[in-house]
Amino acid sequence: MSWLPRTLRWRLFLILFAGLGLAHALSFGVLFLERYLSARAVMLTNLESDVGTSIALLDRLPAAERPQWLARLARPTYRYEIGPGLPGVPELSPRAAEIADTINTAAGRQFPVTVERIPGPRLHLQAHVTLSDGSIVTIDLLPQVMPLADWLPYVLAVQLLLLVLCTWVAVRLAIRPLLRFAGAAERLDPASTATRLDEGGPTEVAYAATAFNAMRDRIAHYLAERVQILAAISHDLQTPITRMKLRAEMGEDGPDRDKLVNDLAEIELMVREGVAYARSAHGDAEEPVRIDVGSFVESLVFDYQDIGKPVQWIGGATAVATTRPHALRRILTNLIDNALKFAGPVEVEIMATAGRIRIGVLDRGPGIPDDQLEAVLQPFYRLEQSRSRDTGGTGLGLAITHQLARAIGGALTLKNRDGGGLAAEVMLGAASPGSDR
Amino acid sequence: MDHVDHVLIVDDDREIRDLVAGYLKKNGLRVTVAADGRQMRAFLEADRVDLIVLDIMLPGDDGLVLCRELRAGRHKATPILMLTARSDETDRIVGLEMGADDYLSKPFSARELLARIKAVLRRTRMMPPTLAVAEAGQVLAFGRWRLDTTARHLLDQDGVAVGLSGAEYRLLRVFLDHPQRVLSRDQLLNLTQGREAELFERSIDLLVSRLRQRLGDDAREPAYIKTVRAEGYVLAMPVETAAARR
Repeated sequence: MSWLPRTLRWRLFLILFAGLGLAHALSFGVLFLERYLSARAVMLTNLESDVGTSIALLDRLPAAERPQWLARLARPTYRYEIGPGLPGVPELSPRAAEIADTINTAAGRQFPVTVERIPGPRLHLQAHVTLSDGSIVTIDLLPQVMPLADWLPYVLAVQLLLLVLCTWVAVRLAIRPLLRFAGAAERLDPASTATRLDEGGPTEVAYAATAFNAMRDRIAHYLAERVQILAAISHDLQTPITRMKLRAEMGEDGPDRDKLVNDLAEIELMVREGVAYARSAHGDAEEPVRIDVGSFVESLVFDYQDIGKPVQWIGGATAVATTRPHALRRILTNLIDNALKFAGPVEVEIMATAGRIRIGVLDRGPGIPDDQLEAVLQPFYRLEQSRSRDTGGTGLGLAITHQLARAIGGALTLKNRDGGGLAAEVMLGAASPGSDR
Repeated sequence: MDHVDHVLIVDDDREIRDLVAGYLKKNGLRVTVAADGRQMRAFLEADRVDLIVLDIMLPGDDGLVLCRELRAGRHKATPILMLTARSDETDRIVGLEMGADDYLSKPFSARELLARIKAVLRRTRMMPPTLAVAEAGQVLAFGRWRLDTTARHLLDQDGVAVGLSGAEYRLLRVFLDHPQRVLSRDQLLNLTQGREAELFERSIDLLVSRLRQRLGDDAREPAYIKTVRAEGYVLAMPVETAAARR
């Protein structure tokens, strides 16, 4: 079915329009045929009786009186003249043959008749009848083509237009809810109520919309539950961890105490990251703010420099973007912390391409094997090297960053740089040009 | 005799309370404990303290309610250190909005708590008592800038947020809390001291130049932060307190 258009809209339109158009043409054709047949039957019957009477009349009249009657006997499509008429050819089309038969039937029993076609653009017949006194009467026939009203083509055009219009409206009606659903599913954000679908419209659409909203509510419920469970666990763990931490601190100095403190720090980190991951899908309830991305990133870099970390801002474009600053800060600090931990010195740059801002966090560390660039964004996925080096952390850092980037309408991509090292790029939403400062 | 700082700890967990109290006492502080808001109020009726460590999660009135209550009453000058459930931005913001001076997220270490207590006490002592510190949750307007102290956003006249590093923000707050008043490098250093970074006297000059850049100030003829030779710096603009957002 490769000849079919790609979109459902055009396919439906084509099918409906072809069906309706064909039905319409068929009924028009049948009507036309019926009318043609009946008109012809009437014409032939009239012709037969009329020609019979006229020839009989002319035969009875004295030769001198005949011309006076000719005008009275003339009909719109045929007239009589005295004389042999025009030269013609004997070949006849089926329609002409029918007319010739009729004339033969009407007059041929009494008088010899020859019917000939006069060559020309339209059908022109002449029947030569030899009357009983030997003189010849010619019947000059100009059979009328089936008459068509002048307005008929316009009516047809209007009908066609109406057909196109109705088909288009019907297709739109069928397609629109589908597009609405697709859009809603794409924008689905269980954290906000703004994405609810309008539950009005035709029954089927209303039903689907209700079902969609119910699904959205279920997702929101599951997400909320996930956050709640993790928050509850972490909260209940906090008090005992705090106690243990305090007790460990009060205890005797020694290797056992240090190990205990380290273990507690690990548990604490795990709990905190777990909650952060559960929350990150929501992107928090933070209000988007218009920020100057250049100064935002620069100030973040200064924060690192102030505590003596090797982080450099290598500049780049600056622009104003509407985003959630706390989420963005969290994304960038996660990426910078990661780079500091695994790679050493970090460079941060901003690029504006095609109206979108990308913030790159670049290092010259070992990078990540190409086949694992996607996998490291999954929760609890760890690279072999980080596992064996015992610097692994929770395995949630990049997953949190990835989800947060999505939650603010952006995207996180990792790639290995030419010459070694990793480039983590955060793409923000649409941007406006930098302020004039 | 030296003044011994008196700290009130409000936390519903008895063991945490006692462990913290023990540690702080060992480090030369006077400590009183309270299990909830009722006990806290009862104690404050009779005595005064130098600092209150307040847990957010409390039975009955929670820490945020108590914090607001303290700020509204006659203890509005007493520094408060909030213990939050998590190091989440929202909790921090809410806590600061309610008037807490600092926060520490659980689980914390006793050593860290002691360091924070000392930092807060030092900061409040440094502040000239005649000058009211802008309460958190307000918007401070100066020149063509506004500083949202809740979200820590510096907003230009178009409402675009300009980023500030932690140290830059703290320095700006110091200037805005003491407008049109000459502050020595030493004072600025002490008031701006963050919790992670150790600042040196020279780094104040660096910070000031960064801040000028953020404010779009010309270093040779600054309109906002002026250099006073041999003395320090001064914020040359009047500061207005605008109502909080929302």
